[in-house]
Amino acid sequence: DNKENTDLLGLDEEVKIVKKRKPVAKLDEARLLSQPGIPKLRALARSGSIASKLRLKGKGHEYSDAAKLLGYYQLWLDNLYPKAKFADGLQLVEKVGHGKMMQAMRKEWIDEGKPGHGTG
Amino acid sequence: FDKAQTVDPEVRAHVYSLVTALGGTEADEAGSYVLGDDALACLRDLKRWLKLYDEKNNRLDVARCLAEANLVNGDLLPILAAWTEDSNNNRAKARLALACLELLVPLTWPLEHAGGMTVNHHRHTPYIQQAHVRYKAGTLCYGRASILRTIVRIGLPSIATSKDDRTSRDEGIIKLMLYFFRNISIITPLPNLPSQGLDDEISRSATIEAFRQQDVFALLLTMCSNMGEDFNLQDVIVLEIIFNLIKGVNVEKLFMNEEQRKIQKTTELKDVLGKERAMHRDYAKIAPTRHGRFGTMIWVKREDEKVSAISGQDNLKDGRNSLLKMDKSKKWSKPQQRRKDLDHSIYDFDHSVPLTADASELLRNFVEEFLDSGFNPLFTHLRKAIEREADRLLDINYRQFFYTVSWFLQAEKCRRARQEKDRKNQKVQTDFEAESYGLVAAVLNQETFITLNRYMQTSFDNKEWQDLNASMRCFTQILLTVQEMAQSSLEEDQEIADNIQNRIFYEETTHDRIVNILKGYKDQGFGYLDACTELSHVFLRMLERYSKENADLQIRSRRRARRKKKEQQTTQNGENEEADDDDDDVRSENEDIAEAAQVSRERKFDFTRFAAKFTSQSSVNTLVAFTAFYRDLSIDQLKRAHRFFYRVAFKQELAVLLFRVDIIALFYQLIKGPEGLDRSNAMYKEWDELVRQVLKKMFKKLEQRPELIVEMLFSKIRATLYYLEYGHERQTVSST
Repeated sequence: DNKENTDLLGLDEEVKIVKKRKPVAKLDEARLLSQPGIPKLRALARSGSIASKLRLKGKGHEYSDAAKLLGYYQLWLDNLYPKAKFADGLQLVEKVGHGKMMQAMRKEWIDEGKPGHGTG
Repeated sequence: FDKAQTVDPEVRAHVYSLVTALGGTEADEAGSYVLGDDALACLRDLKRWLKLYDEKNNRLDVARCLAEANLVNGDLLPILAAWTEDSNNNRAKARLALACLELLVPLTWPLEHAGGMTVNHHRHTPYIQQAHVRYKAGTLCYGRASILRTIVRIGLPSIATSKDDRTSRDEGIIKLMLYFFRNISIITPLPNLPSQGLDDEISRSATIEAFRQQDVFALLLTMCSNMGEDFNLQDVIVLEIIFNLIKGVNVEKLFMNEEQRKIQKTTELKDVLGKERAMHRDYAKIAPTRHGRFGTMIWVKREDEKVSAISGQDNLKDGRNSLLKMDKSKKWSKPQQRRKDLDHSIYDFDHSVPLTADASELLRNFVEEFLDSGFNPLFTHLRKAIEREADRLLDINYRQFFYTVSWFLQAEKCRRARQEKDRKNQKVQTDFEAESYGLVAAVLNQETFITLNRYMQTSFDNKEWQDLNASMRCFTQILLTVQEMAQSSLEEDQEIADNIQNRIFYEETTHDRIVNILKGYKDQGFGYLDACTELSHVFLRMLERYSKENADLQIRSRRRARRKKKEQQTTQNGENEEADDDDDDVRSENEDIAEAAQVSRERKFDFTRFAAKFTSQSSVNTLVAFTAFYRDLSIDQLKRAHRFFYRVAFKQELAVLLFRVDIIALFYQLIKGPEGLDRSNAMYKEWDELVRQVLKKMFKKLEQRPELIVEMLFSKIRATLYYLEYGHERQTVSST
């Protein structure tokens, strides 16, 4: 009787502990669409003038402005996915953009900017 | 490691005893080589061992033993050297020499096992490859006697007999001799094996010098110019020899004269030194001005009250630099696909080979003589063999054929340019006769184009990138030659060139193929990238000019026939023949045929539509991959990339395609560095202007359409491309 009881309770069985690996952070659609991802860029786009936000100097300062723009993207990407270097991160993002859903969303984002959108 | 265990000891014992019995150096006779009593029989036995043990069992044991016993350098070469020219008629010695050659050919045969390598092969291959290097060094620089000439002498009686009188033994001897030269021309020191200090002895320059001095070139020229008459089946081996002599040799450098070469060398040195200085200058800008433990640390302020810390004083003054440093300190990098190591294959032609001044002179003489006499007969003969798909051709020979053709076409072009220059310098003859392009006519006919087109298509379909690379180069050179012909002062040449261009540009399939090749680049290596961008550049420019001159250019386009029409037809047919029982089969067959059929019709060629096909996102990607090598690109290559991007941004008005963060980053780096293009580079100014204009356009676009800030992360999709560029939808003509 005793034996059965202990078996039922499962006291004699060895408990195996399997250590789970920490999941590797991935730059996927979910991350890209999360708040620090594309929504942040879109907020910048909607905020009126990108140039004033990034303190671009405009005509005649193409290169320094480009450096600022690139710097902005780099910090944005570093914030979103700190693991990857800038060039690698851009490749990852670009690849995510190929998905069907992403393509549809990208089209929508652009359509929203079209004149007369939402009215007709 | 036990030497005895690498090979079956009994085999080793047998082979060694044969080598010992062959002969040796005699102390009594001042160290000259003395033959053993049964030398000929020994040689034959060794041959039998190679054949019946190595070849039959697919092992390399005997070859390994012979390499260890130093048979080639210790015995075979001395025996060959002993057959002096005054003993030409000595039959016994001639037979011995032939027996030596019969051993030399299998012993120097290139080791290329694609699949099916056994443990044995893995064990022996590196050793035998090293032995090959020693064999080649021994053959090319064998002190007193010229081995190569001796081997030519073995073949001469067979060559002298007319083709019809040759026995199969004669044919065999000629083949053996040619295969030996081919093997010698292939052997190079292997990059992943230790050097044996013989690199100079077996370099391409040494090979060319030996081939010239010992009459191998003369033999090759004779055979080439009589190809199809006195010689028939040897064309492929001759092709292989020539391919291995010229692969990787820079044609333009070859056709410089002494003075130009000197100037070239000094300018090259100047360029390299200048580059180094620029590198130091770039570094000096960011180099620390104080010692390494000075320990500056700065914070980079970011949004949301966040900061990042970076160390190093160089970050104090330059914001951009600190960002780059932040990036550099990251440890993880995206795993990259490695390409297969194709570059060490003996059929690779993308690696440039330097030649000494003497060797260039000799090779150039050979090339000029070959162009004058051997080009047409050899390549006509080979092309016919390719059309017939003759048994003697291996897959690899096709690639060699196209590469060699392209190389010689380029050589002919350089030679003409040089002659022109000489003529101008001398100013003696004012009215010279322009030479016609008859010397290279064999590859400028319709048959060659058909073969070339077919080969390009199949290698593209089968993803044989090196094959495609060779045929692209060939096509490019043909286009360039035709272009020169069109500018010739001879009316006949102009007419022919016009005809050829008409034929090349008539087929729309050719146009589409070139577009698809450019679009399809993935990771086929730099040589391929160079070839495909050059081809599309040359093709596009020539087509542009030609279609301008011939406004009514017609092209034949093939389109899949409309399915609906076919269905209607078949249903009609079906109604008529419904009574028949076998009808079903007939109908489905009809359908198959209808589906397979393609309608071909002619239509007017529209260059702008064609150019639009060229400027797509995937071809932009290809050119971006090409431009990423900007530090190593030549002026011409930089110009090629520049013209492409210019066309995209300003002629086709598709600059949106370039508005992608990685492309902008590359462009920025190219001009502003770090490690940018050298300011003294001739193309720097043009690139600077281009990048500035593209950036200008980009900021303007960003102002107009802020959505672009998201879209700059991605390759553009077709649906939004037009809107992004023009700000309104494309007006489509509705058909009602």
